[in-house]
Amino acid sequence: MTQMTVLEALGAAMAHEMARDSDVVILGEDVGTAGGIFRTTQGLQQRFGPDRVIDTPLDEKGIAAHAVGMALYGLRPIAEIQFSGFIHDAFEQLMFGATKYRWMTGGQYSVPMVIRAPSFGGINGGFWHSQSPEAYYCHGGGMKIVVPSTPQDAYGLLLAAIRDPDPTLVLEPVPLYRTLRGEVNDDGEAIGIGEAAIVRPGNDLTALSYGPMCHDVLAVAEQMAENPGYDIEVIDLRSLMPFDVDAITASVQRTGRLVVVHEAPLSLGFGAELAATVQERAFGYLHCPIGRVAAPDLPYGFSGGDEYYRPNKARIAAAIRRAMEFDF
Amino acid sequence: MVNGTSTPSAPTAFLGQPRPVVAPLLERAADLAIAQVLDADGVPNGNLAEPDLSQAQLRTMYETMALVRVIDEKGWQLQRSGRLEFWIPSRGQEAAHVASALAMDAADWIFLADREPGAMLLRGASLQSLFAQFFGRADEPLKGRRLPLLLGDRALNIIPCMTQVGAYLPHAAGAAWAAKLKGDKTRFIVYFGDGATSRGEFHSAMNFAGIHRPPIVFFCQNNGWAVSTPTDRQTAADSFAEKGDAYKVRNLRVDGNDPLAVFAATKEALACTDEQGATLIEAVTYRLGFHTSSDNPDLYRQPEEVAAWERWDPLPRMRKYLQACGYWDERAEAQMQQRCEDEVREAVTAAEAMAPSEPAAMFDDVFAEPTWQLREQRERLLAELETELETELETGA
Ligand SMILES: Cc1ncc(C[n+]2csc(CCOP(=O)(O)OP(=O)(O)O)c2C)c(N)n1
Repeated sequence: MTQMTVLEALGAAMAHEMARDSDVVILGEDVGTAGGIFRTTQGLQQRFGPDRVIDTPLDEKGIAAHAVGMALYGLRPIAEIQFSGFIHDAFEQLMFGATKYRWMTGGQYSVPMVIRAPSFGGINGGFWHSQSPEAYYCHGGGMKIVVPSTPQDAYGLLLAAIRDPDPTLVLEPVPLYRTLRGEVNDDGEAIGIGEAAIVRPGNDLTALSYGPMCHDVLAVAEQMAENPGYDIEVIDLRSLMPFDVDAITASVQRTGRLVVVHEAPLSLGFGAELAATVQERAFGYLHCPIGRVAAPDLPYGFSGGDEYYRPNKARIAAAIRRAMEFDF
Repeated sequence: MVNGTSTPSAPTAFLGQPRPVVAPLLERAADLAIAQVLDADGVPNGNLAEPDLSQAQLRTMYETMALVRVIDEKGWQLQRSGRLEFWIPSRGQEAAHVASALAMDAADWIFLADREPGAMLLRGASLQSLFAQFFGRADEPLKGRRLPLLLGDRALNIIPCMTQVGAYLPHAAGAAWAAKLKGDKTRFIVYFGDGATSRGEFHSAMNFAGIHRPPIVFFCQNNGWAVSTPTDRQTAADSFAEKGDAYKVRNLRVDGNDPLAVFAATKEALACTDEQGATLIEAVTYRLGFHTSSDNPDLYRQPEEVAAWERWDPLPRMRKYLQACGYWDERAEAQMQQRCEDEVREAVTAAEAMAPSEPAAMFDDVFAEPTWQLREQRERLLAELETELETELETGA
């Protein structure tokens, strides 16, 4: 057990895998000499050399596409996109390249690559530096997506992503990078992709989230717990594709109420998929409509406007109250 | 009109401004620094020395080119008669891909575009397996999942193309870099068209190759057209090869209808991978056929242009060379034609009789292990199929 920030945990996971497996390489803008603009890969180029920690030209589609080729040949590349707001230049490479080789070659080739993308808002970074791109990459098959929200999960999910035989997108929680510190069991144990974590057990309502928002949801649940009948179960999904349908279904069948919280825009956001899936499996158990708390369908905030754009504790609490007080 | 054979019919109407006829660049090969061994009549009069090839190798080269043409003509007929859904002609481009693929070793990796069936043949793919791919049969290497001619097979170190034109160039460069990192001796060739050079990935791959020097040949088949877009609407540059200059990638132009020149240029490119890494080869050739079976070139190009290129057809050119060497004669030609046609006919019959994929097989190979979503969706399809079967049994339909 070591105390680490989220950043340090991500770095520790990469260092662990690079030492264990010589096929693991890192590529991205400024990842080498500078250790990445967030310093996630700090020290790795010194330790593993410039051939395994590659400073690339400023070219997101090129980063993704060369990683695809390296993976086809048998390496396990970790491609860093500096901010997820810039990942879409690589969209075709990821969604019609990386994720399609296995299928289009009848299973002959695979692309075991990782894409790390610093994501989410709350840092007053404006449009390009605050994106939640998960919905685009969940659609169309072949991509796995994980979203850690604690140092331990950052460590364990990144390990799982590196070891996974298919392309895996890791959406990293920028606002928690340095602000969240915690105990990390850094003995090389991965966390299963597709396994949610019940971070607060409860009986009256299921609150579902992922990424930095989990912490706001948990805080609201703790506050509201003083009220009788407000024993809220908080689930951190951790993986979006595939997501832990069994854990969610079991929880909602017990609580009868569901509120989904994410900071991506509402329409066609991941919450829509969660709501649709849950109503198919737990329709008869529901006491109220499934609530969604999300950002408006707008470009991300404006400078300094994060607090109006992102779901906040008040909005989460209001949605929970609406669900609790719902009357047919 | 058949797939580009002899002179096409006169165009009825152009859909846009008719383009002036451009004389084949090969007529000015020396001026344009296009490396050439053979002249239009197959006489070694060019600016490049004949490569050192045995009689057997030369015959393999020619016979593979000739077989590709028979396959192309058969595929076209099958598509026109409704037995194949689609066809991508290779007519006119046989020398470019066959001679370059022949220059590679069996362990080298090939990233294909879609007009290079000869590369598969040279690596030992059977005619039946090729036609099984064209018919989308279950028991072909890619499980019948790709359009005809998007060929590949891991057993042959051949990777099928991502259908987005040019998007796979960095895959080849990345793989080549991976081989270098692992200390393997594997070398790479990637095929693409002139249109592909306009894609961002061409830039990405050239840029990467200039910096990291992976062992790769970027093989651009400049066939004059990208569907109806001529090369002067693809780039204002004087050649596609010169694009390599800005990236410090070694580059050259070669007569793509001259198999000996293509072979020599590819061999040379491979010989300098250790020092220079990549080479960009622009093979100047011409698409004698349609872009695909869905195309109609009469709407955008003049029959005179095609006719002028027929004179540079790589097949008679190579045949004349072989004859002059004393390696070939009319009898050998007649026998080979007969053999190709017989073998192709048998392959078609055998491949057409093979089973198509089971519908539920489409759920395989999305991930190494299917997600719960895919398992559920597969179950739903199986239930649907069972209900259909029951209904058929009940109604006797
Ligand atoms: C990215 C992309 N855009 C458009 C198409 C449709 N398309 C298929 S082939 C083609 C032309 C390709 O031209 P070129 O690269 O010169 O190769 P050629 O077909 O002439 O061999 C086009 C536009 C495509 N497959 N991919």
